[in-house]
Amino acid sequence: MFLHNLKYEFLNNIRQKESLFWLMCFPIILGTFFYMGFGKLYEKEEMFSEIPVAVTFAKEDAVFESVIGKMKNADDSLFEFRYADTDKAEKMLKKGDVFGIITVDDEISLTVISSGIEQSIIKSFLDQYKSQRQIISDISAVDPAGLTEAVKALHTETDTIKNNSPTNGNMNYYDMYFMNLITMAALFGMITGLYSAINNQGNLSAVGARKCLSPNIGFITIASSLLAGCITQLCSVILTTSFVLFILKIDLGGNILMIYLTGALGAFAGVSIGFFIGSAGRMSEAVKGAISTSVSLFCCFLSGLMVGNMKTIIEEKCPVINSINPAAIISDMLYYLTIEAGYTRYIEKAAALLIISLFFITGGFLMTRRKTYENL
Amino acid sequence: MSDTIVKIENLVKRYKELTALDHLNIEIREGEIFGLLGPNGSGKTTAINCLLSLLNYDKGNIEIFGKKMTPTSYDIKQQIGVIMQDVAVLEELTVFENIDFFCGLYIKDKKKRKQYVQDAIEFTGLEDFVKFYPKKLSGGLLRRLNIACGIAHKPRLIILDEPTVAVDPQSRNRILEGIQELNHNGATIIYTSHYMEEVEQICTRIAIIDKGTNIAIGTKDELKKMIHNTETITIEITEPDSRILSKINSLKHVYNTAFSDGLLTVKCSGGAHNLIDVLAIFKENDISFGRVYSELPTLNDVFLEITGKEMRDTEVQ
Repeated sequence: MFLHNLKYEFLNNIRQKESLFWLMCFPIILGTFFYMGFGKLYEKEEMFSEIPVAVTFAKEDAVFESVIGKMKNADDSLFEFRYADTDKAEKMLKKGDVFGIITVDDEISLTVISSGIEQSIIKSFLDQYKSQRQIISDISAVDPAGLTEAVKALHTETDTIKNNSPTNGNMNYYDMYFMNLITMAALFGMITGLYSAINNQGNLSAVGARKCLSPNIGFITIASSLLAGCITQLCSVILTTSFVLFILKIDLGGNILMIYLTGALGAFAGVSIGFFIGSAGRMSEAVKGAISTSVSLFCCFLSGLMVGNMKTIIEEKCPVINSINPAAIISDMLYYLTIEAGYTRYIEKAAALLIISLFFITGGFLMTRRKTYENL
Repeated sequence: MSDTIVKIENLVKRYKELTALDHLNIEIREGEIFGLLGPNGSGKTTAINCLLSLLNYDKGNIEIFGKKMTPTSYDIKQQIGVIMQDVAVLEELTVFENIDFFCGLYIKDKKKRKQYVQDAIEFTGLEDFVKFYPKKLSGGLLRRLNIACGIAHKPRLIILDEPTVAVDPQSRNRILEGIQELNHNGATIIYTSHYMEEVEQICTRIAIIDKGTNIAIGTKDELKKMIHNTETITIEITEPDSRILSKINSLKHVYNTAFSDGLLTVKCSGGAHNLIDVLAIFKENDISFGRVYSELPTLNDVFLEITGKEMRDTEVQ
């Protein structure tokens, strides 16, 4: 019965045109738009040259000075830092010799007179620096002895920026959009998870009622439906990932199989959350569908699908959201695959994702375990 | 007497303040086509859902095949086929796949299942549509598919809840004939409907339900014998004078006359020649008349006389 149900549920899933659009076509269309928007940056050599930035010190800041000093001395630095006083820096900015002015005072600020990729990259660098700096401040307040280690960690992070800079052809800043795209494709599993719940509950659908009346244990029927949902979603993630890697030829680095594995874990998380939403309450299928789509897109928004540095902002303001947002976790996993040789942090994130998935799937099963209903 | 196959005792189901089933008692015997007749909202579907352990209930006892019915009575469920009011098929599976899918929830053996699916397709006349998707089927064909999915595993007890709602007359007749054929093949049928004609046409025994309780139960003849009316005569005439009405009223078996919209209605209780007697009065007084109808009592008359209201008046259109 398990395999019989699995087969037909899978067939039913992959033939649903509306779902197929969201699961398979939409990520590809969005990926194509991303590529059209950013893709040329991979091809233009001149875009990969150092970005000139003026730096003015209104106040001494040893840490920041150390960071940009280290970046400046690197062979493949992302930025060309030019020290200047305020007047000179403004003249350079107006003439177009630099793309922005970093002013170091009580706060570190950025001045630009136009918007563009270069300005966004400078801003992204500063946001990342500020975020790390905040962490150092917090550590020094609690444990001043650990300050040296914190500064060291900050340098390691700037190394990351350097190593993944456009100069070596691996433009991490834009890769994040494609990582978030794969994340979104995985989390759209909420849609299939939702239908698995609805199609197995007697009080939510006529098909669910018919299944409840069959001489089968509900848990087995639901489990096979969920597995069918996961397989459907896996197909979607494989398609999107393959499109990004092999058609758009976006180099996400790392082990390709691990990227697919990450997508599979993400798909499982998506299906689990959708199953939970589908099992909760007696709202109509349309309302639950809207909730699922909104939740998946909102999670992706928070992880930076629409606004590149959103995850950094959240890390500063409310880091716990990044710890529980499945989209942020999946994109982190993909990011760690790119930047790290080992899997320590990847495994931590994978474990967190599995715990979240199991939480939702258990919750869903607890809500669907009842045998009879008060209302139909 | 045949074995009792379904026994519902003192069934009570409440939705907060509303009592949907009020001490409902029904016994259904093997081999019957048992009709549950009642207006919309009378509790028919609730009774079926409680019977199938889909709905919980507040009080009462339900036995099927001599065993207490519970949500985990898989041995009982194995022998039941259900055709619900709402069409329950998967939209993205073809006709064949849908029947095979639902049959497969009951029949594990592939070879046997294949034969059963083929039988169900032939039985419902869907041979030409096996590769069609449900959305491509007409309302009648969709209902037939719904039935095929419910009966493909050859159940011993088949429950049909308003299977002909929104179905064209041709498909309706086919469905009703099919139900009788299923019964001839050995299945016991429970058929709920608010269409009196259908129930009267196919059911061997009928329970009339109103406000969650059975107000009458028996064969259609037994039900009709429960009421005063045995014949209703309707005659097209112009305005009748009181003298004629008085003469008709004085006939032995006539107990009520009424004139409305050019139609004189005469209700009789007993007697074999009421129509001849009424027409004789018209002839004696040289009164011309148009068309004449004589109708035996319907289940609506039964419902009307017992509850004081027309069954159709209570339907939600």
